Amino acid sequence: MAGSISVIGRTTRVHGRVTGAVDLEVQGFVEGDIAVGGDVTVDVHGMVGAGVRGRRLVVRGAVKGDLVGEEAVSLEDGARVVGDVRAPRVTIAPGALVRGFVQTGEAVESPSRAARPQSAARPASPAPAKTMAAPPARAPAPTPAAAVPAPAAKPAVRQTEAMTAVGGVTANSLPRRPPPPVVPALKKAKGQVAKRKER
Amino acid sequence: MAQTRTTARDADGRDARIGSAARVRGRVHGDGNLIVEGHVEGQLAIRGDLTIADGASVTVEIIEAHAVTIAGALEGDVAATGAVRLGASARVRGNLRGAAISMEEGARYSGRLDCEFDLPPELGGASRGETRGRTPARR
Amino acid sequence: MASTVIGAGITVEGDITTDEDVVVAGTVRGKLSAKEGITIEHGATVEADIVGGSLTIAGALTGNVTATERVDLQSGARVIGNVKASRVTIADGAQFKGNVDMDV
Repeated sequence: MAGSISVIGRTTRVHGRVTGAVDLEVQGFVEGDIAVGGDVTVDVHGMVGAGVRGRRLVVRGAVKGDLVGEEAVSLEDGARVVGDVRAPRVTIAPGALVRGFVQTGEAVESPSRAARPQSAARPASPAPAKTMAAPPARAPAPTPAAAVPAPAAKPAVRQTEAMTAVGGVTANSLPRRPPPPVVPALKKAKGQVAKRKER
Repeated sequence: MAQTRTTARDADGRDARIGSAARVRGRVHGDGNLIVEGHVEGQLAIRGDLTIADGASVTVEIIEAHAVTIAGALEGDVAATGAVRLGASARVRGNLRGAAISMEEGARYSGRLDCEFDLPPELGGASRGETRGRTPARR
Repeated sequence: MASTVIGAGITVEGDITTDEDVVVAGTVRGKLSAKEGITIEHGATVEADIVGGSLTIAGALTGNVTATERVDLQSGARVIGNVKASRVTIADGAQFKGNVDMDV
């Protein structure tokens, strides 16, 4: 739709989330998630510090977060991306720099459903529902989680979402990779252990 | 299973070639460039550039080469000192590391890309060693 | 001059700071601060304190408004909050509830 594109200008900094059913051009700095129904362009000077979801993503700037395109993701010369890239069509031009997991050819859920990643990413099964109710009971086991429930939950959800996406892909999953754990409760503990090992 | 060692030599400046009817199971290594049009299973380590042509298939643990151009099928990791390019007909599963990595629209890919670079300071600057995605960083 | 446009349909939840003009036709919840002009178009919803140079408001705003130059509330504006600027105009048809401070 002509004229309905939103622009985050070059000197503009947004500390927060951007959502909506429109096209967006980022020339400045957005520190929160971008989840829109339209196309997103990150300009050569643009910077996004979290994930970007949209229909078609074109990145010429810097992104520290996952890029998920419903139709396509295109990384052009000048792009610097640290994060996963998922779209049915992925194009990476020479000169684009990426560090992360890249997956082409997968049907990606729409941003409106992705707004609630916990329910969208998980396959329909009763186990996740139990996990959501379980945290208070499980809190005593990993003590950092009990002390700071909100930050601890966030990385666990991210890893869970990522691992469920792998489990959901049949044709493209790597044979060498171990199958994702089936028990969501274990997933959370695994994420916690992995974070401790990294330190 | 017969183990073979095939040495690819760059004779008179022409590229070494594994033809489309050839099936190699074993280790392929050499100094020059190599074009794979057939099927290779095992190990691939060359000093020069590697091309996996459309219709070719390579299944290895890891490819070591300078520049790697893929138009066929590859299952395995790539550790290139030069550029890694996936053409529109490429079908690749594996982790890629190189000086530059590119893929044309239409390429089918699943795996981890690992380029060495720093994000701008506003996004945290040097973030090498940071693991995002499912596979751990290879060291 | 380049400007930032928060179009109709876009929602920004958080703080926006910029050196340039801002046009809001969508929704902003949080804070908005610009060195130059801020225009809140008819149909926009802003729940934020806004600070700018010259502010033109034709939409819905809940929050405090501080301008270094002037604030113009146009017909169709619905503003709940305090306005502080050296020049303030409230057009016929604008709805306003709050204090006006013109001692700058």
